Amino acid sequence: MKNRRNILALGSALALATLPLPVYAQQPTYKIGYQLPLTGNTAQYGIDFKNAAEIALDQFAKAGKPFKVEIVFEDSRSDTKEGVAIARKFVDDKSIVGVLGDFTSGVSIASAQIYKEAGMPQLSQTASHPDYTKVSEWQFRNITTQAQEGPLNAEWLYASGYRKVAVIAEQTDWGQTVVSNFVDKFKALGGQVVFSEFFNRGLADFRPIITKIARDNPDAIYTGYFYEDGAQFLKQMKQLSVTIPVHSTSASYNQQLITLAGADAEGMKLTATFLPNNPAKNVQDFVAAWKAKTGQAEPGQFPAQAYDAVNIMLAALERAHPNVTRKSLRDQLAATKNFPGVTGDTTFDADREPAKKLVRAQVKNGTFVAVDQ
Amino acid sequence: MNASDTSHHRWLWTGIILTGLFVLVPLLLSLAGRSYFYQIANTIMIFALLAASMHLVTGVAGLLQLGHAAFYGIGGYCAALLATHFKLSFVVTIPLAGMMAGLIAFLVAVPTMRLVSIYFAVATLGIGQMLHVITLNWVPVTKGPNGILLFGGMKVFDIDFSKPVPAYYLVAVIVAACIYVIHCLSHSYYGNALRALREDDQCADAMGINTPRLKLESFTVSGFFAGVAGALWAHTAGYISPADFNFNVSILILSMVVLGGLGSLPGSILGAIILIGLPEVLREFKAGDFRNIIIGIVLFGVILFQPRGLIGEVSALDFIRNQFGLGRKAKNDANKTDGKQMRVGWL
Repeated sequence: MKNRRNILALGSALALATLPLPVYAQQPTYKIGYQLPLTGNTAQYGIDFKNAAEIALDQFAKAGKPFKVEIVFEDSRSDTKEGVAIARKFVDDKSIVGVLGDFTSGVSIASAQIYKEAGMPQLSQTASHPDYTKVSEWQFRNITTQAQEGPLNAEWLYASGYRKVAVIAEQTDWGQTVVSNFVDKFKALGGQVVFSEFFNRGLADFRPIITKIARDNPDAIYTGYFYEDGAQFLKQMKQLSVTIPVHSTSASYNQQLITLAGADAEGMKLTATFLPNNPAKNVQDFVAAWKAKTGQAEPGQFPAQAYDAVNIMLAALERAHPNVTRKSLRDQLAATKNFPGVTGDTTFDADREPAKKLVRAQVKNGTFVAVDQ
Repeated sequence: MNASDTSHHRWLWTGIILTGLFVLVPLLLSLAGRSYFYQIANTIMIFALLAASMHLVTGVAGLLQLGHAAFYGIGGYCAALLATHFKLSFVVTIPLAGMMAGLIAFLVAVPTMRLVSIYFAVATLGIGQMLHVITLNWVPVTKGPNGILLFGGMKVFDIDFSKPVPAYYLVAVIVAACIYVIHCLSHSYYGNALRALREDDQCADAMGINTPRLKLESFTVSGFFAGVAGALWAHTAGYISPADFNFNVSILILSMVVLGGLGSLPGSILGAIILIGLPEVLREFKAGDFRNIIIGIVLFGVILFQPRGLIGEVSALDFIRNQFGLGRKAKNDANKTDGKQMRVGWL
């Protein structure tokens, strides 16, 4: 019974696979795969990435290049099962020379195992897991890891005169790195971590944690959360009249944080690689295109990272043209140097990690503004 | 139908199934020349084993199990940890992972085996969540949300089992063997005793069937096979994290069993083929965001119009008894006892 059904299902899939290939225009067309969650719990991020990628592609097409680029989007639902199937699908398609994505580190790493075996360059805009780029020489990322951000924040807090700090973060691979990288540096500087706890993403009630933090009376709280949890945390801090200064990472940088938390977000400090009120022309062009395309407010940091990731890929393609193969594209990606993106200049080091400049920011009068201290 | 007819059918059907699994499907997949189909075939087989293992507890014994992903996860973590920390070959880690999952299933079954219906379901739900939270928060051992990356690959005698074709055969052989064992268990005197337990456990008890022991055994065996499936997933994916074994997976497996037909082994396998295959087929059709809605409609439609599942238990049992003669043999065995009480179970 099993194989009969199996053959049936495969037969129909086969019939699809043999459909006529697209007609080639005179200009060569290169295909890039993009795996991202377009449905499911993390769809809001994937949809942002898709919008950002389409803006980048649109601008590229208008720039009059000697070749065309097409992006194939596939929905992974942030599910490993689907992610590895997409990876196989991209690898099978000989016209796909490079891949962007996935959103979560877990799905990115599982897919990376397949890209490693097949020799396909993979550039994730958000996979921050320390092991991701260690999978093979084919993996790149366009997100500053906590190995860079954590120590920077530790120095900032220490320089602000804080000596006793409470640390909380979400219980994910990323949250783990937020805490370890910050705590190691802060202790090395001579500071003291008086409280440390992880919470599950989407926690509705932070009040028990806030009460415990307040009891330990730290000088500041360092937090590893995304904007949804961040807004909840800040609102409940206010409800409990806890006024300890809050510091966070670039992951909580999103206009939605201020929309959700309102005045309670005032004063939160964070590090970021992208500020939409940066007057640089490329940033303002992106922000304007984003507003026109999505009808939303300013883009957050993640869509900006996706926009840059697509542009880094396109720039590498341009350098590899006309001899574009998966291998030559990988080599050109690795050669990315001082790429002027909206999230700062990007250079890949020998381990294919991006070095980016982080700026210090604070919520003031309902917007994120750059600050010195 | 006489006995020789049955045995003839039996070899014919076994031959057809094995030829299909080991010759026809790989041949078709190779002709398509796309490793994507191999990947989907592997995922389908692993979930077919998961659905078959849950079929034993939920379909045959009638115990609603809401924490099956936990045993799948134990198998996955056990295999991944043994392979990365102790550098054991995958050949060894797969049975060990199954045994570990079986052992833990046994331990959790001891306090829960006297529970019935919804109380049992809630207990397994709790256990499933507990084990998930442990894998998420026991960072020194499981590396928590960071997951475990298996760098070693799967090499035995110079055959790299991480390549699509050898991986397919590896998974196919193990899954076929496991499903054969589940088939023998559920289509035997033993399986019938489990069905009696499902229909009316007090009546079964009164007839001399040791119901707690049966529950314990079926739960342990089911846990063992879920663990084997977890080990297969860990080795073929090369990376696992707690997100692969969360509550949604338990529900997915349960949906497979219900969609195919509670109590029907071919149904469970068909359920796995549909619920893993359909999203991918729809991906080929560029169904986009409608994929999930279509799958929901299929599930809803089946429950509405075919409440006994696509291959109901009665038709599945008739088919297996007529073509494989297993149930018939059990019936004959039962007649031979001449009214003496037959011992059920092997503990």
